[in-house]
Amino acid sequence: MGFGQFLSAPEVKLRIVTYRDIFQDSAKVTSLFGEDYEKLSAIIKLDPKDLSKLAIKEGDTLMLKNGFGKVVVKAQNSGYEKPHTGTAYMVNSPWSNVLVPEDAGGTGVPEFKDFEVLASSAKGAKVTGIREII
Amino acid sequence: MASVMEIYQLLPKTNCKECGKSTCMAFAVDLLSRKLKVEDCLPLVREGKYKASYEKLSGMVTPVEDVTETGLIVHADKCIGCGNCVVACPVNVAADPMGAGSGKAPTCDRVILKVEDGVVKAANVQECRRFGENKILCVACIDTCPTKAIEFV
Amino acid sequence: MDNDNYVCTGCALLCDDIDVGLENGKVAKVHTACRKGFAFMKGCSNPLECTVDGKKTDVDSAIREAAEILRNAERPLIFGHANSSSGAQKRAIGIARKINGYIDDTSSFCQGPMVEAILEGKLKTCTLDDVRHKADVIVYWGADPANSHPRHMSRYSYFPRGKERQRGWEEDRTAICIDVRKSDTAEICGESGLYQIPVKGDVEFMDALVSALSGKIPKTSYDFDKKRLLELASILKKAKFGVIFAGLGMVYALDDREPLYRLMDKLNSVSNFHLIPMAGHYNMRGFNQILFEETGYINRVKFNGAEILHGPEYSVVEALRKKAVDAALVIGADPLTSLPRSVVRHLEEIPLITIDPCQTLTSVKAKVTIPCALVGVESGGTAVRMDGVEIGLKQIVETDRLSDEEVMIRISEAL
Repeated sequence: MGFGQFLSAPEVKLRIVTYRDIFQDSAKVTSLFGEDYEKLSAIIKLDPKDLSKLAIKEGDTLMLKNGFGKVVVKAQNSGYEKPHTGTAYMVNSPWSNVLVPEDAGGTGVPEFKDFEVLASSAKGAKVTGIREII
Repeated sequence: MASVMEIYQLLPKTNCKECGKSTCMAFAVDLLSRKLKVEDCLPLVREGKYKASYEKLSGMVTPVEDVTETGLIVHADKCIGCGNCVVACPVNVAADPMGAGSGKAPTCDRVILKVEDGVVKAANVQECRRFGENKILCVACIDTCPTKAIEFV
Repeated sequence: MDNDNYVCTGCALLCDDIDVGLENGKVAKVHTACRKGFAFMKGCSNPLECTVDGKKTDVDSAIREAAEILRNAERPLIFGHANSSSGAQKRAIGIARKINGYIDDTSSFCQGPMVEAILEGKLKTCTLDDVRHKADVIVYWGADPANSHPRHMSRYSYFPRGKERQRGWEEDRTAICIDVRKSDTAEICGESGLYQIPVKGDVEFMDALVSALSGKIPKTSYDFDKKRLLELASILKKAKFGVIFAGLGMVYALDDREPLYRLMDKLNSVSNFHLIPMAGHYNMRGFNQILFEETGYINRVKFNGAEILHGPEYSVVEALRKKAVDAALVIGADPLTSLPRSVVRHLEEIPLITIDPCQTLTSVKAKVTIPCALVGVESGGTAVRMDGVEIGLKQIVETDRLSDEEVMIRISEAL
């Protein structure tokens, strides 16, 4: 019996790094509004330790939020051999862009590949749809 | 590619013999070489407690429908069509040095691997170095695949 | 270029060895293109329709409305261009000049800094053909071509045989991956080829490499294995023809280019190194080169009579964030997909024109949408590959839709 279940959904601070995925990118080329694109975009890859900290399993939905927005995406185990607790990976997409900070420090280049979010379990909730994002 | 031990770990490990094999380890060996299917392990399919293992195994050991005579399988769903294997295959290089061997579209029909509609397709597999009398354990196409889309069984 | 073949405009590799099979005037079979290229050439499943205020209309009316919006705007923005033919890009710059507009492209928040340094002669570069024929040490830095440019390694950078690289990749070439994670590209480079660094650890890693190349002990605050750093320095030093492919991972980790200049200078004092930016969209570099020739700047320009203003305040991100623009024309890009949500909200508050072959998130919010032909499939032209080489594009199939260049000509005339 985990301690986690006695608390309201634990919140975990995560540093997000975005990356590219050819399957997701190809799905976008075919249709931005398609099921495949959502399925391959609305995900976050976590270290197994962070999955336990959040008291969720792979495939459960997760609420990600920060001062710029919030989205519900599906959690995945990153599968990386090297542990990366506290850092999670999201594919570059409208879902990650909801959370990318607006303030680019006047440089014109937002921090697409390095920003922070607060994650908490959203068990049972549906993944945010692309039409809800826009 | 999955190993015998990885497969074994997901089996019931009861040595029930329902599959006709004497042990679960023997079943794992035959499953890996595709002599048997995941579904041949009856308890795995039947009993709810093995559901997760069953699903995992099904993903790990894909069916052999598309297996070629040399045992070459291309998992089209994993393939990104990068063509690394097309360029790396020693038979392709020998048959078509200025086309496939130089990174460009194949210019002759004797190549084993080429990309069509975004995924790699195998042809002329009898020319594969893993086939015939002087066969060797060539791994050029497996090692150069970024997504592990090619496997030999 | 072989005359029988077509060019894939799926990414900035512009692979020019593509063969297609047609059925009922449509692309049905595609040979040699990768998964993404195949999807691109087949075309999207939701083509853009010609609309004004959400109602279907004819092209003439939509173009008239677009010209009206641009004419009435005081500070219009013309943005996109990375997925446009060079012809359309030239027209877009002409329109921006005519209406005293802002003009910027996706390089503004992407590979701009690298392309700029190359065009200004501050970084030594080479072509992808040079890489195929000569390169023996290939460094993918913050880049994952297996996902972004699938045929990069097979066509140019690692696996092919070239004039001076006849023995194949195992003997003739060394591939290095410097990244924050084990990407698919890193898998190919192997355990010994991956140098995994912390997020934003790039600058320190560059300086540590400079130390190692100078015979000093390479130090990093994250305590990267010094022995491995020295080994890497020794590999780089021995290169006869080295190339660094700079990915967005590297670009975003640099506050300025000085650490990269230091590394490239050092590398070129002990060996021979080139840099190619991993431009994503098929003609981003083309836009940068055209604008550079016309204005001396690669992006982030505002025309003001004879005066040309340039700077971060004219970037698409800052202009939208500060709500500095009062109308926008978007062509060959989808800012609502690729920019932070909080930045692009302003686009929904101003009259917006979208020109694209397909529906995009931006087109959903546009007052005027004008469909154009898919460049490289339904219309020809030229584009510039990631290494600066111009490639001719051929039309494969017939279409009723105007080419992107024709749409821009018509808007320009209507102004």
